[in-house]
Amino acid sequence: MFLETVVETRKIFGGETSLEKLVFYLLAFVTLVIFFTGLIRRVKKYRAGRKLVGWDFRGGKAKGIEHVTEPPSHGRSLLDVLTHKTITRRKHSVGAAHLLVFWGFIGLFLATSILALDYDIYGNITRIFFGKERSFFTGWFYISYNFVFNIAGVAALLGAALLNFRRVFSKESELDYERAHKPEEGYKRVKMAIGDHIFVAGLLAIIVTGFLIQGLRIDGSNFPSFEKWTFMGYLVGEGWRVVGVGATLAGQIHSYLWWIHILMALAFVAYLPFSKALHILSSPTNMVLRHPASTRVLPPSPIEHMGYQELRDFTHKDLIGLDACTKCGRCHGVCPARTVGAPLSPRDLILDLRQWVDRSTKNPMIFDWEERPEGSGPRNVDGRLAGDVISERTLWSCTTCMACVEICPVGIEHVPLIVQLRRSLVDQGVMDPTLQSALQNIATQGNSFGKSSRMRARWVKSLDFPVVDARKEHVEYLWFLGDFASFDERLVEISRTLAKVLSAAGISFGILYESEKNAGNDVRRAGEEGLFEMLVEGNMKAFSSASFDKIITTDPHSFNTLRNEYPAFGLTAPVMHYSELLAQLLYEGKLSLTKQSKNVTYHDPCYLGRYNRIFDAPRAVISGLGCDLVEMPRHRDNSFCCGAGGGRIWMDDSFLNERPSENRMREAATLGVDYFVVACPKDYAMFTDAVKTTGNEGKITVVDIVELFYESMMGEQLAGVAAGDSDTDIKDGKQV
Amino acid sequence: MKVRRIEKGGALKIVVGMRQLADLVEELEVADSGVDIDRDFVKFVSNEWDEAALEEALLIKEAVGGEVVVIALDEPDVDQTLYSAIAKGADRAVKIVGVEEGWTPTRLRAQLLSKWLKSEGDWDAFLTGVQAADDLDGQLAGLIGATLGVPHAAVVSKAEPEGSSLRITQELGGGTLSESVATGKVVLGIQAGRQAPRYAPITRIRQAMSTSTIETFDAQEIDLGPGPKVRKIYPPQSKGQATMLDGDPVEVAEKIVELIRAKGLVR
Ligand code: SF4
Ligand code: SF4
Repeated sequence: MFLETVVETRKIFGGETSLEKLVFYLLAFVTLVIFFTGLIRRVKKYRAGRKLVGWDFRGGKAKGIEHVTEPPSHGRSLLDVLTHKTITRRKHSVGAAHLLVFWGFIGLFLATSILALDYDIYGNITRIFFGKERSFFTGWFYISYNFVFNIAGVAALLGAALLNFRRVFSKESELDYERAHKPEEGYKRVKMAIGDHIFVAGLLAIIVTGFLIQGLRIDGSNFPSFEKWTFMGYLVGEGWRVVGVGATLAGQIHSYLWWIHILMALAFVAYLPFSKALHILSSPTNMVLRHPASTRVLPPSPIEHMGYQELRDFTHKDLIGLDACTKCGRCHGVCPARTVGAPLSPRDLILDLRQWVDRSTKNPMIFDWEERPEGSGPRNVDGRLAGDVISERTLWSCTTCMACVEICPVGIEHVPLIVQLRRSLVDQGVMDPTLQSALQNIATQGNSFGKSSRMRARWVKSLDFPVVDARKEHVEYLWFLGDFASFDERLVEISRTLAKVLSAAGISFGILYESEKNAGNDVRRAGEEGLFEMLVEGNMKAFSSASFDKIITTDPHSFNTLRNEYPAFGLTAPVMHYSELLAQLLYEGKLSLTKQSKNVTYHDPCYLGRYNRIFDAPRAVISGLGCDLVEMPRHRDNSFCCGAGGGRIWMDDSFLNERPSENRMREAATLGVDYFVVACPKDYAMFTDAVKTTGNEGKITVVDIVELFYESMMGEQLAGVAAGDSDTDIKDGKQV
Repeated sequence: MKVRRIEKGGALKIVVGMRQLADLVEELEVADSGVDIDRDFVKFVSNEWDEAALEEALLIKEAVGGEVVVIALDEPDVDQTLYSAIAKGADRAVKIVGVEEGWTPTRLRAQLLSKWLKSEGDWDAFLTGVQAADDLDGQLAGLIGATLGVPHAAVVSKAEPEGSSLRITQELGGGTLSESVATGKVVLGIQAGRQAPRYAPITRIRQAMSTSTIETFDAQEIDLGPGPKVRKIYPPQSKGQATMLDGDPVEVAEKIVELIRAKGLVR
């Protein structure tokens, strides 16, 4: 012992010579220089983009979508980072392990900072001003410091060990880096995987060596009793003693191992801006900058040209987002395009863009880099961004289902990026011929079917009551049908059913007849911004010629754009989806409805559920009618897209392994339900096909939620008849 | 959109004639006059074969440089068609104004276009759709060729530049193709382009509307001389009805034989 009285402390440098100290400070300095150089280069890269517009950074609130999602604020996002709300979602154990590492390392970082504060700042100040170096690293402070930060260390150790274990042994598809779009020229992603291993294994090694030297120090100082508070270090010290390392030997090993630990820690800091470790900084930043409105309300194109064509078209936030990706693969796992074999994985998209940006700004990562021949994919800095760097087919494969944005733990918004790139494809005139003719039809006729707009309301003819023309008469609800519910032969019957329900319920409603045009949700998402604006102008003109209080829509796609995007063009009326209105009718209880006892499952349409958070209204209708609702494994915010969105319904899908709707139908078929309930005309069309192509005909029937509702309404009427006619047998004839 | 590559000798000046037609998705009605369709309530769209001709012209320009000029009569919604041609890459658009409203007979259209072509003078090729809904027998290109004394080829499926001439592929029916090389001025009736007509993004059309102007050319008095006159237009009247024959093939065959006998076609 070199201290006479027992003071609870230790030397900060464990007996290193002053030469060694000098070397340490030099290395630390070099490390910091490398770290900041790397960081500044990254920040410069972000500044190569354009400024964020329409996002008040200081206010921190995304306005205009209050009814859809909680308006996010910086405070909230920070809280999400600190609690790992997004990382623990749907993957609790991985999230928990990450949370341990996160807080553990924050603790260890604080511990080191406190030491530096005491030794380098407090110590030096007191030496200069009082002539004698002082330290607060003694007594109760020392003891509690060790206790608290030993806990942090143990947390980090446990977390890092679990993450390492997962990375080596887990078979989760998310950890598989195989591309969805396999370039002909070939590619290798071994380096990426190596980089990840180095990162997690490096963290583990730093903690383990930290504990080893702590144990050596305690062993070397003959286990003072106050060090028992340094419980982990003490335990490790005991371990050293058990393997025969006495106090002297411990001191010798310590001086070597200390250097190893320090060198690894410094190397890690220097490595950070050039590796996956960068996400420690970029991901929380992106979380704070994320803007949940931007997928629901697509951002405008850069001013100079349509869509993203060059580096400076990306916003700062886009570029930070690209660096925030941790390759966690969650978006890759949920993407319907990727699932059915389309050459699109949202993760690959982000990684390709990131590598392309890094290439273009000469800002390379050390390992996070895919090996590809020069000039291919992200290594093609001269080619077209949309078309060469990211292939056309990749971009057209997206259904804009938003599953990726929903699950990305670091708040990356893939869909706006995809649409910006599609805009540039549309501007080049590059698209599927079928999409082109749909867009042309919409431009000339106002509907994708290419039918005369005067045919739009032909479906009302066979109703035995007139449907009000909202341009001539005031109505409470203006019913906006959308193209499919107006023109598709199979779907107009459902429109008639809804009309009958509305009329029987005594609701004042009307339609726009030939003045209604395609609402433009999917036109916009296909990247045809000019046409979208034209459609908005047309519909806004029609709205102003009509007199109504609220809008109800059949199509969740129209619903999304009318509710979230039209307000920017002056629409002030509230917009509802018919499933909400049905729920309202049910709760008002004015209609008497027969109870049904069907076994059903319900499919959440992307644009109703994920986009607009309407999960409960349709469920309330289904269970309110007495049906037994069995949920599919993927439901609510994890619903699996039918494959029709984002303009995909107008494009060729013959190259897919299976259609997303077929994948979904197979999921439903495992439940043993008789009915597959939908609340979207496009879903009805997609899933009635899928029932046939998956061989489930006769086993499962697709019904629209309003058909169920109507059946209960008519059941009542039939029951009325039945009272006077005992021959009529009502199966589910129990009255509510 | 694309950088224009002007090469001495290679560059071609191509004129594309476009027509507006009543959109056939609409239900057409006969006007009160009885000699025309009711033009007040129908939408007018560009003739699809003319769009193919425009596409072919743009492809030629992209290959060898030069200029594409689109020309049309002042017909309903023609501006839309001309601006979208500019949005696709045409350099100039010309509208012949002062033509009497209503349907323009193909002979008159040919004369009007020829007048402009004569006054313009320095073009290399005139491309237009091989036919149109109001010119099903495809006379326009032929008439213009004859009027101007310029060689004419119809049912052209490819017109590829070769030096300062065009290599022309025609479909002769029965799967036969013919190739020829046109040096000097030529008039072509285009059946289909080498690729489907490109898409004109609405933003580009709107851009074209704000940045370019459509030139006008006054229609001149034209004496067509004697010719046929439309006396009446009417929807085809259904004559007789089809009878569906049920049964298996043998039965159906027997019924057919019986029918033919009954009509006295065979004995
Ligand atoms: S929006 Fe859907 S289809 Fe598009 S990339 Fe994301 S998950 Fe895939
Ligand atoms: S984009 Fe998000 S969800 Fe996808 S791999 Fe990157 S971090 Fe994970």
